[in-house]
Amino acid sequence: MFAHTFHETLLRVEGLRVEVGGTSVLSGVDAEIKDVVRPDVIQGQVVSVLGPSGVGKSTLIRVLAGLQPPTEGRVLLTERQCPVRAGMVGVVHQSCPLFEHQTVLENLLMASRDIVKARQLLARFGLREREDAWPAELSGGERQRVAILQQLMCGHTYLLMDEPFSCLDPVNKGKVCELIADLTHLDTRTTIIVVTHDIREAIKIADTLWLLGREPGRDGSRIVATYNLIERDLAWSPGIEHTPAFAALARELENRFATL
Amino acid sequence: MRSLVLGFHPNGCVSRAARIGFGAATLVLGLLLWQVAPPALPRPLELAHALRVLWCEQHLFDHLVTSFTLNLEAIGWSTLITLTLAYASVLPAVRPLVGAFAKLRFTGLVGWAFVLTLLARDGHQLKLWMLMFGMVPFFLTAMTAVVAAIPHERFDHARTLGLSERRVVWEVVVRGTAGEALETLRQNAAMGWMMIAMVEGIVRSEGGLGALMVDANKHLQFGALFALVGVVLAIGIAQDLALRWLRRVLCPAADLRR
Repeated sequence: MFAHTFHETLLRVEGLRVEVGGTSVLSGVDAEIKDVVRPDVIQGQVVSVLGPSGVGKSTLIRVLAGLQPPTEGRVLLTERQCPVRAGMVGVVHQSCPLFEHQTVLENLLMASRDIVKARQLLARFGLREREDAWPAELSGGERQRVAILQQLMCGHTYLLMDEPFSCLDPVNKGKVCELIADLTHLDTRTTIIVVTHDIREAIKIADTLWLLGREPGRDGSRIVATYNLIERDLAWSPGIEHTPAFAALARELENRFATL
Repeated sequence: MRSLVLGFHPNGCVSRAARIGFGAATLVLGLLLWQVAPPALPRPLELAHALRVLWCEQHLFDHLVTSFTLNLEAIGWSTLITLTLAYASVLPAVRPLVGAFAKLRFTGLVGWAFVLTLLARDGHQLKLWMLMFGMVPFFLTAMTAVVAAIPHERFDHARTLGLSERRVVWEVVVRGTAGEALETLRQNAAMGWMMIAMVEGIVRSEGGLGALMVDANKHLQFGALFALVGVVLAIGIAQDLALRWLRRVLCPAADLRR
């Protein structure tokens, strides 16, 4: 296991309940993300939120991003524990919306007027040649990277990613994993929450895993289990997916999925 | 040959040459049908003769300018009113008003023409209002549908960048749908040319193509009448192409999305 320590709380979810049209979508959601610190490594946090389809993952994203107020409970951010509001958390939606009437560079400048930073980010993530392209001219992977960079331009240290692996082939899934790993090395406070139903990729990228699901006899979904992947020696190691521990956890999660 | 066969398959993909071939065949078929059509429909030579007479003796150019400027004015005002109302439909309090305006498309000009006559300052204004009355409800219906169809993810995306709600509306609704707005305008601008004969026939003070058409119809000059229909068709197609060009210049990314 890599040496690490947990420091202050960066995100806290307290007693979250969300009703839509009189039906509880989320109920009793409590969670916490702490700043994990590794010696001599700039290491951010990656939490995978796993859950079957229709369990309320998109609703959870909107609430965590401050785009939808919860019916009850609250979401607190930073070590000062400020209530979340729209604009504090970056969101990369599944369809990666961009401003279609603006070029890639203009899209980044919408978030911040810092053209030097925009060009640096484009160069770092292999998009320097595409700065004058229209969003409609980008491939799916390029579009996803631009959507992420746009959020980074805002200075967001919190980033929510909605189903970043959907409809991707294994090679591109690997690239997204690498991209997420790169992002976590930008700043120790970078906190990425990846919402997905792809079990293997969820384990590969994360240091913590939340299992979101609905239990029999309960209204709404909640986080039914939290897995610390650092303690299981499943975090921060390339090629981890070939280990027996990885396969065992994937099987365990698949079995739990069936009951949610 | 295979490409020609594919032209008769649902969703068949044909070569450019085959596309040109199908277009030419349609044109030839149209001309043939024209030749064998009932005698009431003037033949091409009659139309050419009538057009020459209209141009040389009845000041067709002046009438054309009158109708064109009137239509242009109506398009301009209709666009302004429509876009203002359509963009204002993001305000819940204004939505019923916008809906009510759009519903006016179910009422004809009968009745309203009398009210507009009483309210208008002169003939030009009356024609303008009647054209706008015909165009705005249809244009507005299409534009409010464009605004309503914006996925909420686009609003969320703009909000996560920390944009104010006004800026969100400006970027997502106004600038974000500019391409669709111009496309909707292109499709609805044809309405003006459809109504021009009726409007200029009712108010004849300034002349115009509609007044000439009503005269030709009254005196059973079908050659002149269909020559004028042809002029309106040509102007309409030219206007359509001009608006398409404008859309490409102002919203170069819009065609890529399509």
